[in-house]
Amino acid sequence: MTLTVTPDTYNFVAFDTAYTARIAEHMATQLGLDDIDILVAINENSSLTRIEVEVTDSLMTIAPHSGALEDTRRPRQQSELNTTITMARGMLRGRDRLRGGFADAPADTELSLPQAAIWDTYIMGRIAHMDIEVNKQAWVYNFRNRHGFSDAVDAVFEKVWNSSHSTWAELSALSANTVSVTA
Amino acid sequence: MKKFMPVEELARDERFNQITQADRMADGRNALIADSEKSRRSNRLTPARPDASEAARALMHGIFVGEIQALEGAGRTCWDFTTGEEAPFELKLDMARQAWDEARHVEISLKLSDWMGSEIGQYAENTVLFQAACSNDPVLRLAGVNRALEGLAIDVFTTMKEFGEIAGDPYLEFCEDWMLADEVTHVKMGSDWLRKITENDPERRKKALEFQGIVDKMFSYGGSRSDSEESSFAIARRFRELAGFSEDENDHIADLGMQALNERKAQLREKQAAAAN
Repeated sequence: MTLTVTPDTYNFVAFDTAYTARIAEHMATQLGLDDIDILVAINENSSLTRIEVEVTDSLMTIAPHSGALEDTRRPRQQSELNTTITMARGMLRGRDRLRGGFADAPADTELSLPQAAIWDTYIMGRIAHMDIEVNKQAWVYNFRNRHGFSDAVDAVFEKVWNSSHSTWAELSALSANTVSVTA
Repeated sequence: MKKFMPVEELARDERFNQITQADRMADGRNALIADSEKSRRSNRLTPARPDASEAARALMHGIFVGEIQALEGAGRTCWDFTTGEEAPFELKLDMARQAWDEARHVEISLKLSDWMGSEIGQYAENTVLFQAACSNDPVLRLAGVNRALEGLAIDVFTTMKEFGEIAGDPYLEFCEDWMLADEVTHVKMGSDWLRKITENDPERRKKALEFQGIVDKMFSYGGSRSDSEESSFAIARRFRELAGFSEDENDHIADLGMQALNERKAQLREKQAAAAN
């Protein structure tokens, strides 16, 4: 497995490529991704928090916008925690698609907002269970924004957050059912 | 107690990290052009945005620190000017009432931040709002704080209220609606006092309105507020009218917003082109 981080130098942010690579390597090992090449291509021109992921059998490409690795308290500085979470989010999504029962999931750009939210909940729940510091309430709020503000929706959130093995078929059905009950 | 406290001396604990408007504008990264041109038709802060939850959370934190600065601004106006000679007692009474409203808004915004999943100090605090409250002339301060700053609050609260309404978030919608009502009152106080104090001093009134124009452009945050869909929030014309802004004044603020947006876009293009070479 090779892991590459680009770019080498930055114009707009004070990020460190070697530091990012160390975090990414550690995460890849933790997630059992030592049999695939990984490219982390940071888009420093955008301050958004988006993470784009593409996977083939031999290469996983994770392309976070710089806001996803940033310390929101100190603009343009890199945050170790946010870098860790972003690497974990990108790699878990790639791993889900590759061998986690998500092969039939639509491309990221084709996901509806509720579908994206339930998958993010599944990913962030697993990250929280890896003892990485995650603000759970932020993800509760995101899930509610996409599925509705009710106790029934919160119960679905808890179920997904605490799940360690789910498939796209299960999650997409659960999301559709939750949206239709709330509507 | 010290009078005319500079922005650098605002009391904050270690959770807060303060930045200036210059720091913010020095950021050459793009949150405007790439997104609106490539993957999204609008930058408006609505639940339809893929990053809606994160963007709303960041804005709520901005509201929270903005309310702290508005509280400090109104409170300073009560203290900085001599009663009677520099500022009428009734004006100070209005500012004291406003300080009480802002203190309540700080608490409401804090509870909403908890609800949305953010923590005190999670985002940098831009101190530009308090800077508008540092004028030595109470009339300029009314123009900067009550008309420009509180006018901005009307635009932001309208956006957040609509966000809550569309998302079905009952707390956000309710709280923003109540705070919005207070902001309309604050702007009206500023408009009324500005007219009253400068009734026989057209030169001072002109100076105050010019100052308001400068502050309004600063508060467009590089085009974050304008009639363009590329801006995060719009000019809330209806509520501004209720607060005493004329149609011409609202058009002027909208023009300033468009100017700020276009200048920011040009600045970003320049910075990104320079980086690419």
